[in-house]
Amino acid sequence: MSAGQAPKEIGEISFGLMDPEEYRDMSATKVITADTYDDDGFPIDMGLMDPRLGVIDPGLECKTCGQRSGSCNGHFGHIELAAPVIHVGFSKLIRRLLRGTCRECANLLLTEEEKDEYRDDLERTKSLRQDVSDVMTAAIREARKKDHCPHCGEVQYDVKHEKPTTYYEVQQVLASDYSERIAASMQPDEDEDDAGISPQELAEQTDIDISRINEILSGEFRPRREDREAIEAAIGADLTTEDMNKLMPSDIRDWFEDIPGEDLEALGVDAERSRPEWMILTVLPVPPVTARPSITLDNGQRSEDDLTHKLVDIIRINQRFMENREAGAPQLIIEDLWELLQYHVTTFMDNEISGTPPARHRSGRPLKTLSQRLKGKEGRFRGSLSGKRVNFSARTVISPDPTLSLNEVGVPDRVATEMTQTMVVNEKNLERARRYVRNGPEGHPGANYVTRPDGRRVRVTEKVCEELAERVEPGWEVQRHLIDGDIIIFNRQPSLHRMSIMAHEVVVMPYKTFRLNTVVCPPYNADFDGDEMNMHALQNEEARAEARVLMRVQEQILSPRFGENIIGAIQDHISGTYLLTHDNPQFNETQASDLLRQTRIDELPDPAGISEDTGEPYWEGRQLFSELLPDDLNLEFTGTTGEPVVIEDGQLVEGTIAEDEVGGFGGEIVDTITKVHGNTRARIFINEVAALAMRSIMHFGFSIGIDDETVSVEARERIDEAIQSAYDRVQELIETYENGDLESLPGRTVDETLEMKIMQTLGKARDSAGDVAEENFAEDNPAVVMANSGARGSMLNLTQMAGCVGQQAVRGERINRGYEDRTLSHFEPNDLSSEAHGFVENSYTSGLTPKEFFFHAMGGREGLVDTAVRTSKSGYLQRRLINALSELETQYDGTVRDTSDTIVQFEFGEDGTSPVQVSSDDEVDIDVDHVADRILNSEFDSDDEKAEFLGVQEPPTNLSEHGAAWEVESDD
Amino acid sequence: MVDVSQHELVPEHTVLDEDTLEEVLEDYEIDRTELPKIKRKDPALPDDAEVGDVVKIVRDSRTTDEAIVYRLVIE
Ligand SMILES: [Mg+2]
Ligand SMILES: [Zn+2]
Ligand SMILES: [Zn+2]
Repeated sequence: MSAGQAPKEIGEISFGLMDPEEYRDMSATKVITADTYDDDGFPIDMGLMDPRLGVIDPGLECKTCGQRSGSCNGHFGHIELAAPVIHVGFSKLIRRLLRGTCRECANLLLTEEEKDEYRDDLERTKSLRQDVSDVMTAAIREARKKDHCPHCGEVQYDVKHEKPTTYYEVQQVLASDYSERIAASMQPDEDEDDAGISPQELAEQTDIDISRINEILSGEFRPRREDREAIEAAIGADLTTEDMNKLMPSDIRDWFEDIPGEDLEALGVDAERSRPEWMILTVLPVPPVTARPSITLDNGQRSEDDLTHKLVDIIRINQRFMENREAGAPQLIIEDLWELLQYHVTTFMDNEISGTPPARHRSGRPLKTLSQRLKGKEGRFRGSLSGKRVNFSARTVISPDPTLSLNEVGVPDRVATEMTQTMVVNEKNLERARRYVRNGPEGHPGANYVTRPDGRRVRVTEKVCEELAERVEPGWEVQRHLIDGDIIIFNRQPSLHRMSIMAHEVVVMPYKTFRLNTVVCPPYNADFDGDEMNMHALQNEEARAEARVLMRVQEQILSPRFGENIIGAIQDHISGTYLLTHDNPQFNETQASDLLRQTRIDELPDPAGISEDTGEPYWEGRQLFSELLPDDLNLEFTGTTGEPVVIEDGQLVEGTIAEDEVGGFGGEIVDTITKVHGNTRARIFINEVAALAMRSIMHFGFSIGIDDETVSVEARERIDEAIQSAYDRVQELIETYENGDLESLPGRTVDETLEMKIMQTLGKARDSAGDVAEENFAEDNPAVVMANSGARGSMLNLTQMAGCVGQQAVRGERINRGYEDRTLSHFEPNDLSSEAHGFVENSYTSGLTPKEFFFHAMGGREGLVDTAVRTSKSGYLQRRLINALSELETQYDGTVRDTSDTIVQFEFGEDGTSPVQVSSDDEVDIDVDHVADRILNSEFDSDDEKAEFLGVQEPPTNLSEHGAAWEVESDD
Repeated sequence: MVDVSQHELVPEHTVLDEDTLEEVLEDYEIDRTELPKIKRKDPALPDDAEVGDVVKIVRDSRTTDEAIVYRLVIE
């Protein structure tokens, strides 16, 4: 929008076809020459760059409105087409109308009753807000069935559509070799006992004069339709061929002009606004130059827009067409030129039509014409309107920083000095504002721009910043740098759920990466292997308030997907709390205070006892962990390790703290604190658990190496033994199978049964190998600690590392593909043994043989392909779902409605509740009365104050047996 | 033939009388055509439901005991 114009409100939009007269009326000029600029570089009059179409060069004046480039939006011109051409966008509608209306009188091929029926149907469909185009489809289908016009009786022919813009009438006409065909059928055919037919008989059967029959047989007379049909019936042969009669655009236009308005209305077409003949173009609007600006290259040459190139083609052909027609060129040449004109107009609209070669640039690149500007991801709708590029945004690599709160984000100083916040200067912040301006654009915290009360914007530069700072007064605006505590929006693609975009508080930091607390990795699905994230600085008070209240990370701890916390301790945090609480170890004073030093706890609790060894007081792990819990927390549940976890009055009495206790995705303690004590308390708790866990894992030391996954020689032997016995059993199975003694399981073939039994046996072998390995590992083995606590990895991973990798599978079966009758050429054909079908008996530590490695890669590839296919499929589904749901809105009356106010749900989610605000867990009940009491108590300093606020409730005296109901009646 | 309307998973469908319907439409400030639709041939509909009727569907809900939905019978 140009400056100075007030934005206007759209009252109504009507969609329809445009009258060619309207094209001419709105045109600033007719365009007649294909040339753009003359030798001096000035636009040619009535050329494609005519200054009446708008200006793009700065300084020039528009000849239509007098404004300069920037303020003038440009004006349409028009080209008078030498012959009508079809608008590709309407080729389907044109086909339908051709098929549904009479070729002679252009009436809709329906009786009046039928028309009324469809009119009613249309009315009904509209009132039910359903798709009206279904009614048109049905009406046309009905009309097409008629082979005679119900109004004038004319015979109707089928219309064939050759994409994109050619239409034919298909007529049955007499074949040129009709006499030969008749003669051939009249010959007696001995094989089929056909006696043949004489001309005399034919004349009798068809009621045609014998002399006429003879003329027909000699090819001198072409029988008319009735006679032809009679002869065909008599001799049982077909005398016709299909004749394709091409409908020229001008014919179609004439045809459509005669379609009565009321017939169109029965099809749901508004004849007032959209006459069907307007679908055949006689005038082509020329887009304003501002819509197809030319660019000047470095060497001073002008390079024109693709649309301009296309328009040049159209005008050239248009001119040649006119010249040829005036010169009386043969019909063939005229038709060729007409087709060429049609091609150029078609590709001007859409250059990606199947069956039509795309128009290309000289370099061979297909031209980007009108459709291509709108369609697809980079098109006008998805690329420029739904998704715009924005200012005040930054993107860089992320890295972890455990010292930040989960609400914070570390912002590099060079980002902070680029993203600004508007600061309205008043008496109170004047000094601060001046200091920012004095710091200039490079110092932090500085300022980049100041706006004077008259609206003039002045850039703060290193040179003028001192001087400018003195002039800043209340009423000015200062664009200051981001400082600690500012709220910004942070995002990681693919933004698949609400928690992909959250608000963080800024902490300005050196270096070049965004820093985040590791507990926000799960909601963003982020890791630090090179992931980048986006930041947006908010630009008004309303946005900042909304972000702070609704979008801050702590407000997103509970996931709307499953109603439990999605943020919580992860990975090393969990190993840390596990080490701290599992065996409830003891710490001396120094150690204990070190563990708690990054938390709010600044005084140690009473020691748990006096150490017998050193005589010093000691503290226990569970006791230290309890310091982080709210004092009134009471919980009892079965924990990660399968043992009960008991918390009484904020003290961990019993149990191990691991994934199911404090982890993301439903850690019981985090979940309960969030729901009972609120988001702020939960944020503090998660931050402190992460800090405590880091200190404790560092206290104990935690590392993993090859030796941790290696089993003793004795255990290795037992594993080999287990595998060997499985091999023996498989061999037995194969032998019974080969002897034909294997009994099939119900519903399976013998082959399937064998496969299943082998799989079972080998599965058991892997498990027992795993059991041996598991027995062999100590409880304090780091891999075991991680698996047991839920920090990372599983017992299965460990089994595969130490024991046996096991059977590789493709599509849930043993590997059966590869060569004829065998998987690899290393095996005998039809070898059923386990090693020939992908059983890997080695462990990852011992290393795979080449054959095993190959099978393992086959199994692994299936996993990779699966994920790739899944992500692309789910991405598309997600897009469709979002498009379908994006305009639904919960109204104040609780209903969910779409933009046309149609009800989709009578109550949001059928219960009107948010999944986040509802307890998802039946096991742990939330004691609402208790929560209410606690909040009331925290609001007032003393019981007296509370009593005063709430009013004293005298216990009712002298109650009747009927309760309080009697009291209600009052005297007045 | 199985009568699906008797199945435990098919919620109760009842045709709304005009007066109640008026109240419902007034409550939500809508025309009956703005209601969600249900096809006449839907086997869950009671036999006496005709095109243009509005049915009330009472579903069991995990969170609220009942969830009520109204639908306009079409075609
Ligand atoms: Mg990554
Ligand atoms: Zn202008
Ligand atoms: Zn007719």
